[in-house]
Amino acid sequence: MSRYYGTTVDDIFDTMPERFQPQEAKDVDVVVGYECGGEGGGKWRLKVREGAMAVEKVEGDLGPCTATVFAADAETFIGVTLNKIAALDALTSGKLRITGDASLLMNLLPRIFKPYRVPGPAPVTARDIVAGMADRFRPDKAAGVSLKFAYDLTGEGGGRFTVAIADGRCRVTEGLEKDAAVKMTMEASTFVGLMTGTMDATAAFTSGKVRIDGDMGAAAATGRYFDRYVPPDAPRVEELLSLKKVTSIDQRFATGPVMGKWFAGLRERKLLANVCPVCRRTMIHPREVCASCHVRAGEYVELGPEGYVTNYDLVYYASPDPLTGAVRDTPYACAWIMLDGASPEEAFAFEIKKEDLPRLKIGSRVRPVWAEKTVGSFRDLLYFEIID
Amino acid sequence: MQKHRKNRNVAIIGIGQTALSSHKEDQNQVEMVAEAVRNALEDAGKTIDDIDCVVHGNMELFEMQFQPDMWHALGCGSYGKEEYRITTGGTVGATLVCASDNLVASGLYDTVLCIGFEKLQEGNTTGGITNMADPLWFRNLQTGALTSTTAMELIQKFGKERVLRAAMKYRIMMDKHAMLNPRAHRRLGLEYDQMETLMETSPQLVGELRLIHMCSQSDGACAMILTSEDRVREGTAKPPVWIRDHETSHREENMSNLYGARKPKSTHRDCAERLFARNGITDPLGYFDVFEMYDPSAFWAVDWLGEFLLLEGDEHLRLLEAGEFDLDGKLPVNPSGGVIASNPIGATAMLRIAEAALQIRGDAGGHQIKKEVRHALASGFGGSLWTVLMILEKEPNW
Repeated sequence: MSRYYGTTVDDIFDTMPERFQPQEAKDVDVVVGYECGGEGGGKWRLKVREGAMAVEKVEGDLGPCTATVFAADAETFIGVTLNKIAALDALTSGKLRITGDASLLMNLLPRIFKPYRVPGPAPVTARDIVAGMADRFRPDKAAGVSLKFAYDLTGEGGGRFTVAIADGRCRVTEGLEKDAAVKMTMEASTFVGLMTGTMDATAAFTSGKVRIDGDMGAAAATGRYFDRYVPPDAPRVEELLSLKKVTSIDQRFATGPVMGKWFAGLRERKLLANVCPVCRRTMIHPREVCASCHVRAGEYVELGPEGYVTNYDLVYYASPDPLTGAVRDTPYACAWIMLDGASPEEAFAFEIKKEDLPRLKIGSRVRPVWAEKTVGSFRDLLYFEIID
Repeated sequence: MQKHRKNRNVAIIGIGQTALSSHKEDQNQVEMVAEAVRNALEDAGKTIDDIDCVVHGNMELFEMQFQPDMWHALGCGSYGKEEYRITTGGTVGATLVCASDNLVASGLYDTVLCIGFEKLQEGNTTGGITNMADPLWFRNLQTGALTSTTAMELIQKFGKERVLRAAMKYRIMMDKHAMLNPRAHRRLGLEYDQMETLMETSPQLVGELRLIHMCSQSDGACAMILTSEDRVREGTAKPPVWIRDHETSHREENMSNLYGARKPKSTHRDCAERLFARNGITDPLGYFDVFEMYDPSAFWAVDWLGEFLLLEGDEHLRLLEAGEFDLDGKLPVNPSGGVIASNPIGATAMLRIAEAALQIRGDAGGHQIKKEVRHALASGFGGSLWTVLMILEKEPNW
């Protein structure tokens, strides 16, 4: 057998019946002969008559034909069929010859036969990919991890699966187990796209193609514990290397006299603002100068401690805490609070007590809650709680 | 002091971009920057020998690579040339063009190459933005650039249903524009009939702000070449695009006074008022043919359209609802798909100017506005609400 461009001459003729479009061949009556030299070649005779076709491999003489195609070798025949070799070049070089009515090859045959495609492997299904997950599991990356997640993959090739990681092992079972930390629902074709890299995960998630019920962090982590899925017939590509680094920096900032007063105030459980001598606005936290008036502000007043909420951010997205690097517990809220006694320009932003989040609204009255021991730091003020 | 008095006029004569995508693992930073520079030089019909000075910028905290201009010298072509480095947060791309304009307008250099880039996948964006906040106070509270306080204010003013629909209308409009721009990063193929579903199913990030509303994190670079009017008169490869004027507005460093009992004027409105007054533009909506706006989220975009265009009441919502910001509307906004579609932060604000300039040249390709574009507006946003606004013109008409 001689394979070129991933296929054989035989396959091109063998697939003709399934590529035939009878509705296009109603008033056609032709006989086309094909002769291909060299290894993998041979002779074929195609008959198309009144909406029916027959193709046969022949030994000996092709007999009378409306047109006959001669190809020097299998590479030429396959290359021209797949447009990998320009037919005009092959005709010019003499590797391809046509006798009889050449126009029917150019005009008629492309109409009555769908173009030949090189057979690919059977398309991979979501089910195949999930089934191989246990083999792709990386115990070294999942040390100490105990996680159960589920896929609900709808449509052809899909199914419902639960993947459990525990004690350095991975188990894949059919069905949705109730205690999974997260369930990811999507069409099976979306899953295949994500796994084979033809679809971008963020885009799929953003555009609603993937639904996540449960722990989003767990869903994002699932890929970490497995080798990437590689389709069995994937061509070898050059590996792209990347270097990984973790930068961790100890930082230390001087407060200066103005912010020093602020932190000293926190130690005494007081919220101190400084007052601009020109525009009389209260600045909290205190600032080195009034930015509007370009003057220093040396007069300090205590604000609040109570106030009302003017706006707030209820945060669901778990970002790292910049003070510790640990992932923040969500949801949490940062609220802007007009403290009693403050000038109207300026609110004070701080967190709201977690238990109070369900009844937090614009206008809520709040008061500060302090740490048991205050030392003049970020941690002295715990949060504000709702009092109405 | 008379502000922004130019010694001579300045035009953009070369524009280069890389494709914008979520990962560029086949290029390092130097190679990515070099691709944008090569594209800009080719676009201008110039060589690196024609460049007198290089201005380079991004946000160092995102990749945690300090002085990337040293590492990038080969990619920038800056070896042996004068070089400046600029970093002003999200606005950096716009500030790079403002600074380059100033350098040429002053007469110090004839031809300046500016480069903005970012490879957000090489670091941690939210972590970087959070560490931008005052380390003595507020860093403990900040969540990157994720906030829904503007959504909250809009809802208080115009009602929840209307505001949520306006934000989705804007978001889907941006996706429709991005689908026409092969360089855009996120091209989701959204349709307006998905509005209700997306409003419910897209994951909540902060309050009403959902993932679908927020800009992407992208890798990419943009480079532009600016030159003096004399040099332009010697001939250019592509039609020159004139930088008429620009303005920067910012607040004091603190975020806390944004939501006091008395609301301060937004930096967007402040910037627009000063820039338009100086240039005698009384009807920005009527004057400009395109607006490339730095739109990090759909709610901010909806709000800022009103602020930048100095509109009152619900006029910006009405224009949006009526499709007047669509590609074939009265004032097309972000034909490129905007920041929501592609956001390589250090390049993002420069891309607004680059895309606006391409529209004036008639060179934008699939997302070119059908009617003639003569006057363009481009904005940058970042830092503690820094806003940069730039006016581009087809002819030096001022």
